[in-house]
Amino acid sequence: MTKELKLMRNIGISAHIDSGKTTLSERILFYCNRIHAIHEVHGKDGVGATMDSMDLERERGITIESAATSVNWKDYEINLIDTPGHVDFTIEVERSLRVLDGAILVLCSVGGVQSQSITVDRQMNRYKVPRIAFINKCDRVGANPYRVVNQLKEKLFLNPVMMEIPIGLEDKLEGVVDLMKMKAIYFDGDNGEILREEEIPASLLSEAQTKHEEMLDKASAFDDELMEKLLEGEDVPNDLVERAIRKGTLSLQLCPVFMGSAHKDKGIQPLLDGVIKYLPDPTEVTNRALDLDNNEAEVILPSDPDAPTVALAFKLEDGQYGQLTYIRVYQGHIHKGDELINTRSRRKFKIGRLVKMHAAEMEDITDAGCGDIAALFGIDCASGDTFCAPSLNYTMSSMYVPTPVISLAIMPKDKKSADNMAKALNRFTKEDPTFQTYVDPESNQTIIKGMGELHLDVYVQRMKREYNAEVEVGMPQVAYREAITQRADFNYTHKKQTGGSGQYARVAGYIEPFTPTEDDEDKEYQFVNEVKGGAIPSEYIPSCDKGFRAAMKKGPQLNFPIVGVRCVINDGAWHPVDSSDLAFQTAAIAAFREAFLKASPAILEPIMKVEVEGPSEFQGAIFGSVNQRRGIIVSSTEDHSNCTIDAEVPLAEMFGYSTVLRSLSQGKAEFTMELDHYAKTPVSVSDGLKKEFNEKKKGK
Amino acid sequence: MEVNELIENSPIRVFDESINGGLGKGNIGVLASKHGIGKTACLVHIATDKLFKGEHVVHVSFSGNVEHVLNWYKEVFREISEYKSLDDAFSVYNTMRENRVVMNFSQENVSVDKIINSLTTLIQQGSFQADTVLFDGYHLTKATADDVKKIKAFAQAMNIEVWFSVSPVLTDVQFDQYGVPETMKPYIDLIDVLIGLRYNEEKSKVIMTVVKDHSKSPSHPTGVTLDPRTMLITQ
Repeated sequence: MTKELKLMRNIGISAHIDSGKTTLSERILFYCNRIHAIHEVHGKDGVGATMDSMDLERERGITIESAATSVNWKDYEINLIDTPGHVDFTIEVERSLRVLDGAILVLCSVGGVQSQSITVDRQMNRYKVPRIAFINKCDRVGANPYRVVNQLKEKLFLNPVMMEIPIGLEDKLEGVVDLMKMKAIYFDGDNGEILREEEIPASLLSEAQTKHEEMLDKASAFDDELMEKLLEGEDVPNDLVERAIRKGTLSLQLCPVFMGSAHKDKGIQPLLDGVIKYLPDPTEVTNRALDLDNNEAEVILPSDPDAPTVALAFKLEDGQYGQLTYIRVYQGHIHKGDELINTRSRRKFKIGRLVKMHAAEMEDITDAGCGDIAALFGIDCASGDTFCAPSLNYTMSSMYVPTPVISLAIMPKDKKSADNMAKALNRFTKEDPTFQTYVDPESNQTIIKGMGELHLDVYVQRMKREYNAEVEVGMPQVAYREAITQRADFNYTHKKQTGGSGQYARVAGYIEPFTPTEDDEDKEYQFVNEVKGGAIPSEYIPSCDKGFRAAMKKGPQLNFPIVGVRCVINDGAWHPVDSSDLAFQTAAIAAFREAFLKASPAILEPIMKVEVEGPSEFQGAIFGSVNQRRGIIVSSTEDHSNCTIDAEVPLAEMFGYSTVLRSLSQGKAEFTMELDHYAKTPVSVSDGLKKEFNEKKKGK
Repeated sequence: MEVNELIENSPIRVFDESINGGLGKGNIGVLASKHGIGKTACLVHIATDKLFKGEHVVHVSFSGNVEHVLNWYKEVFREISEYKSLDDAFSVYNTMRENRVVMNFSQENVSVDKIINSLTTLIQQGSFQADTVLFDGYHLTKATADDVKKIKAFAQAMNIEVWFSVSPVLTDVQFDQYGVPETMKPYIDLIDVLIGLRYNEEKSKVIMTVVKDHSKSPSHPTGVTLDPRTMLITQ
């Protein structure tokens, strides 16, 4: 089964809440399914002919929730990929944007470009996703698609080109004028499935003419041939104009605008035609991978069906059929029975069942070609894993997983929640490598760790929503580290000789701050043996190393791990009977503790690289908020009415920032943050931390 | 070498001497030349000297690329700290980073009012006590006398030293013997210090000439040149 790549589209639908994303998705599935059903009506048992509306609802309910749904529109296959509703900094967003080649931006004709549209649009810009716009709800009171088109220009800095104008608005919405064909289109039948083409109503003719010219004018910038023909006053064929608009859209310099009302079944089919005409097929998008055998060098993946396979697992789903792994094939193809390698775990596996999710059913397939989206059964993997042919060692995303910087204790509210919580945590840790969990042996509490408050909050919300696990949440806790700032000597004797076999070991040397070089494998610790003349027998040297490592695990200041220490031993003593591995380990631990406190210990805190974006009018308030949080402003960039502020702020000061930012910007500014580095806390802060720690210890 | 020694021995001291002890707060200084002579490097070196002294600097850029500007600072710092083997370079650099903000405008033809507004916001609401503001690559050659007056008023009100680097946008502009474009004539009176930069092939150095020095006019050399290799000001 080889599929023509040109006939494939992988798209996402993104929208502000309540602009009708669900209704639009439903309609798309409905119309595509109709066409699909008609196509093969003789093959199946006539299900497609008349569908019970209840059945439809039920099927939609199932399919709309799946991560990717394949539908057929005319000769094309469209994979609709679910785009996450919440746009935050989780890895998941990046993945879903990676697998789509184009998008429909749904806007409400009344609400226009709202804050979330701006956020989503910005993300798409970042991932260079070509998009077309659909102005929905033209039947609503106060509908004004022209105003929305203006906002696309002013708020999103897109270059919108109207492909249609509405025939009537609000409750008088009858259809649209197709500015390409210069025809009026009406949507007849019970569900608008019958298209009726007519002449443009006289009252709209002059406006249609103006907008048609406007469209030609915008399109001509992308095609010389079209430009020439227009200049010479020749008639231009529609396919030439379409070609130009396609070029403009693919290069992100043009955004074709469609309109209608999903609820009233108007304008959906022309939008689908638009998807086919103006959004890219998989070969028109450049995809990159990193070659692990070549120092993570970037390689471009040609959409070549004969090349060795590269595929990305972008979503795991716990469905009624067990665990489904959604994949996108970037290069080569996936065949049932093939052997592939998961480049993260280096585990080989065989492809068992391979399926495609359709609107109405799940179809077993034997082969998924490049550019295609399919799902695998029974594969043990994590979301974001790359599957390769055994000859390759590529990864679609960097293997670098940042260490979590914040932790939170969670307590299930009842027994049922406890079970569900365990299930949820198991799932989430598979999906997101930056999300980790463990049980604290001291308090016996479940601790979740992640990249920020918002990050953890999203998962707590999902536990409740998707797994019905109600949990109580503790105070967020920063992952501090402890370090030394100067050299200190130690000379410690461990002696326990009270009858029987005793313990005896003496270690001497010094510890000092350790600045690793590129070549050092362990960037946090170095052990140096300078013992001469057998003061410590060589068999006990590793015991010292072990002891130091053990001591580094928990610092004496706050019980956080110690980093950046070089431990040097240069002298010692032993006893032929009483010395042992354990004795030297114990001596090393005690020696380390003794020296550590003399080496001007400090507490290191995670410093976050924070990026705040929002309208310029809030620039001052944002500056102020960074300043209040011990932050430093690295830079600020202004672009028209928008500003971006890059800052470095200690994580401990960022708790609750999303709420603060929301209220100071009327919800119009947003921020992302990631770990930048660890830095010494100011004395006032570290004193406070130590005091708090000691009080807690006493309290126990 | 310690930071204090580094400041004392800096070629910038010689430069300051040549303009009557430095530009001074509330004043406007301009580095003018053709494109590609090294004005940004010059500005960054001046800024780095101020940062060594613990002063606060805002670097206003119009390139749209903040990384680029930050890299200039990194490079200049690396050159100086390695050449002079500066003590505790890491912590000195960290302090410098805290006292520096890059303010970038990627929009074309941003108005003087908007820039001043943003700077004021940073200083007042961001509590950033700026001592010096650098305008790197602002189209001052297109500016009107009115614009320059506004900047001057801002500099005086905030008690800030303002440096500009100026290159003409147009290609057919005449330069005088010191490297100053003629398009600056309309507002030259409003400028307190004007330095012309010109490449001298014989010496393979960029010659820096004081064209105007706090209302004293006769031009004289600064006593420093710009080394085209390191892009640093040298004696």
